[in-house]
Amino acid sequence: MGYAEFKAPKGVIKVELELADDAISQVSISGDFFMYPEEALERLEETLVGIKADRESLLGAVKLFYSSTGVQTPMVEPEHWVEAILRAAGE
Amino acid sequence: MLPLRVDDAFMSMAIDEALLKLNSEGKSPNTIRFWRWLPSTVSIGCFQNVEREVDFEVAKRYGIDIVRRITGGGAVFHDHGGELTYSVVCKQGDVPDEIIESYRLICSGLVRGFERLGLRAEFKPVNDVLGNEKKISGSAQTRRWGSVLQHGTVLIAPDVRRMFELLKVSPEKISDKFIASVFERVTTVERELGRKPSFEEVREAMSRGFEKSLDVKLSEGELTSDELELAAELKPKYASDKWLRKS
Repeated sequence: MGYAEFKAPKGVIKVELELADDAISQVSISGDFFMYPEEALERLEETLVGIKADRESLLGAVKLFYSSTGVQTPMVEPEHWVEAILRAAGE
Repeated sequence: MLPLRVDDAFMSMAIDEALLKLNSEGKSPNTIRFWRWLPSTVSIGCFQNVEREVDFEVAKRYGIDIVRRITGGGAVFHDHGGELTYSVVCKQGDVPDEIIESYRLICSGLVRGFERLGLRAEFKPVNDVLGNEKKISGSAQTRRWGSVLQHGTVLIAPDVRRMFELLKVSPEKISDKFIASVFERVTTVERELGRKPSFEEVREAMSRGFEKSLDVKLSEGELTSDELELAAELKPKYASDKWLRKS
């Protein structure tokens, strides 16, 4: 189980994850950011399962999550989630 | 506007959700209220992992409650003797769609309130108000069912050292040097004014601030029986371990 934190411009993203064959098999995200609607965080976690833990794959998945849900995260960008996830994957 | 209430954390959170829900159903008017926490409480944001953020042993030692909010953002120590909390509930159409702009509008009531108390105040996106250039208030907002709830803290004279004992800041950080660095970024009304105003004085200043910035005339009201009933129904959720530990 890898764990890491990343400080985005608004909020610290905390990621706990497990990998299987370089892909995310389990992920839990917490922190003091804002996300509207709040339920979308669970959807982000679900979206990430099965995604390869490299920058390109993750960024693609997170951007798709934003465009398909219309979620708003003030002062937190797709790149910030990816950075937090990559750090946790590297632990 | 409702009278100043003092409740435990679970009741206060339940009242806020009840107002939000009933407002969305057209059964409660847009509402502003001010309230205090008894006992003092640490509230955590809805996305936080409580074990990572709060020291349960310290909380137990001082008789401090812990509650998860339905709003995002960070952990806050609500000191019974030094902190006033506000809530605003309104229809989503009454505030800008854009999240930061809606914070700006509601927080501008606080800005004017602090100015009435004699401070220089400004909104700092996303959700802070600065008094004399230091953080003096933080807010959190949720939007559900077509209505908006924004609640937040007015730091009158909280015990900052206790706050850092409760929140999981690494122990080596709770040094005099660390506390000093916090005091450079965070302030309180007492510190800026050189006196501790009463809760009623702060409430009065903030109410007038909201009237000005929202361009409304507040009328005094009471919680309705519907609101109290729904709050009583919702309270057990906030008091439950399941809700607190979900992450």
